[in-house]
Amino acid sequence: MIEAKGVSLRYRDGTLALKDVNLEVSPGELVYITGPSGSGKTSLLKLLMGMEYPTSGSLSVLGQAMTKDDPRKIRKLRRLIGPVFQEFKLIKGRSAMENVLMGMRFLGISPKQMKENARNALIRVGLEHKMLSRVENLSWGEAQRVAIARAVARKPLLILADEPTGNLDHDNALNILDLLTSFKDKNTTVIITTHATHLIEGQSDATFVKVREGNISVERRAKFSEKCFV
Amino acid sequence: MKNVLYNLGYFLKEAKKIIQLNLLSNIFSFLGTGLILFMLAMVVCGWSIGNRLVEMLQKEAEINAYFQEGTDEQDALKLVETIKNIEGVSDAVLIDEAEAFRRMEEVLGEEAYILDLFEDNPFEAYIEVRIHLDDIDTILEEVKNLDGIDYVRDNREVLDRIQSITEGLKYLGYLIFAAVGITTLVIVSHMIRQGIYNNRDQINTLRLLGAPNSFIGFPFVLVGMLLTLGGGILSAVLIVVLINMGYGQMSGTLPFIPLPPRDELISGLLILIMSTSIILGLAGSLFGLSSIKNTGNNGQ
Ligand SMILES: Nc1ncnc2c1ncn2[C@@H]1O[C@H](COP(=O)(O)OP(=O)(O)OP(=O)(O)O)[C@@H](O)[C@H]1O
Ligand SMILES: [Mg+2]
Repeated sequence: MIEAKGVSLRYRDGTLALKDVNLEVSPGELVYITGPSGSGKTSLLKLLMGMEYPTSGSLSVLGQAMTKDDPRKIRKLRRLIGPVFQEFKLIKGRSAMENVLMGMRFLGISPKQMKENARNALIRVGLEHKMLSRVENLSWGEAQRVAIARAVARKPLLILADEPTGNLDHDNALNILDLLTSFKDKNTTVIITTHATHLIEGQSDATFVKVREGNISVERRAKFSEKCFV
Repeated sequence: MKNVLYNLGYFLKEAKKIIQLNLLSNIFSFLGTGLILFMLAMVVCGWSIGNRLVEMLQKEAEINAYFQEGTDEQDALKLVETIKNIEGVSDAVLIDEAEAFRRMEEVLGEEAYILDLFEDNPFEAYIEVRIHLDDIDTILEEVKNLDGIDYVRDNREVLDRIQSITEGLKYLGYLIFAAVGITTLVIVSHMIRQGIYNNRDQINTLRLLGAPNSFIGFPFVLVGMLLTLGGGILSAVLIVVLINMGYGQMSGTLPFIPLPPRDELISGLLILIMSTSIILGLAGSLFGLSSIKNTGNNGQ
């Protein structure tokens, strides 16, 4: 489902954000990407949804080679992904409901089905009572849940959540992680970045990718502990 | 296509939002487009009236031949016969003094009382010659040289003038058409660009979610079409009002000017305005949409 071979990413200003990344992820896997601020976690996710392209090496996501050659194919690929952005990217002036619908409008889903999916997703993230609130009036944690609902309502094959625990207190952060990981199933891969390693301490049955200054190391299906990466 | 049907309500709401985001400019664009289209309609209207006039005058091409002094009725009738036989002449009739007077009375209508100021009938008898316009030069020459004919008057001058005005209107029409095209395209594409710029965050997010450009662009095309269609309807209303007023006036004061049938004129103009506005709206918004490609900086 994801295959990265010797992938590097150098931004236009010369910053080398990722170096020689090799990574394989299969369908239905749960992946945590950890690392300090500025280490390259977001950069990795950007590569996965075609917001940036590898400067060297080869990367394929859901069978799609990630190159600049065919923008339409990248757009199509994105329809299979449920992204939860670090800064949410919700559309202001709209209700939570409308934001969630927005992620489905171009997928060829009937209006009735769209509404049903959106309702279910909002209920699942615990926002039943806030469906019609404008997103700018929601708390940080609520807005984040809307972003998650938008990502999952479209039934993606790959959920990419960038730093979903940032700015949340410990309990809420754990709740969000539980929520996100609950969407993992045999077809749906969930990838979560976080620099709060204490939150995933003791987690098992997942793949842990540690990013440090653009280099990654991968630990599979082990019980997570800081000590895994030396 | 399915997505368009499923999201019609959404697209209309989006279009409304895009218009509201820049309401004043959009209102002025709508008014501006309406007024230029109205100008176009007026010129086309003038052109088709002129055309009609020329057509009628050409069909009715006639010359009047006046007698030398001392020509009696007998000679006059002989002259009529001679003229009838000239090639290119379709008919010739003698208009005597009384008939000439009566005709002038008719032309003057209510003003005819001024004729009472004359003690005698001031008009002379003449021969009215209906001709084929193509042969006018040779006929003029021949009739003028006939014994008993003093001079000849023709309506070619009037015809030429109307023809050149109509011709001028045609070119003015082309110019205004070009102006309408360019201005509308610029206005609409500018408004679309503005709308895209104001919505750049939303557009960017939609792209990241995988929305195709056609989906993102649809509300903007809708806005462009609404602007020009609105302008088209505005100008249509104005031109219909103007034509109705004009026809009312003309039939009262200048009854002898042949106007094209009102309904025909109006429906022709409506078709012209509406199709022009739809085409320009579509072209302008597609033109403006090209800037979507450069919005945001997130890969594709
Ligand atoms: N568009 C960009 N242009 C140039 N440099 C960039 C760009 N985006 C990120 N970087 C740099 O790349 C490196 C990795 O950034 P990235 O955003 O991937 O880090 P991160 O691990 O997500 O950090 P955080 O935990 O703070 O979100 C940083 O040094 C950052 O400054
Ligand atoms: Mg980040």
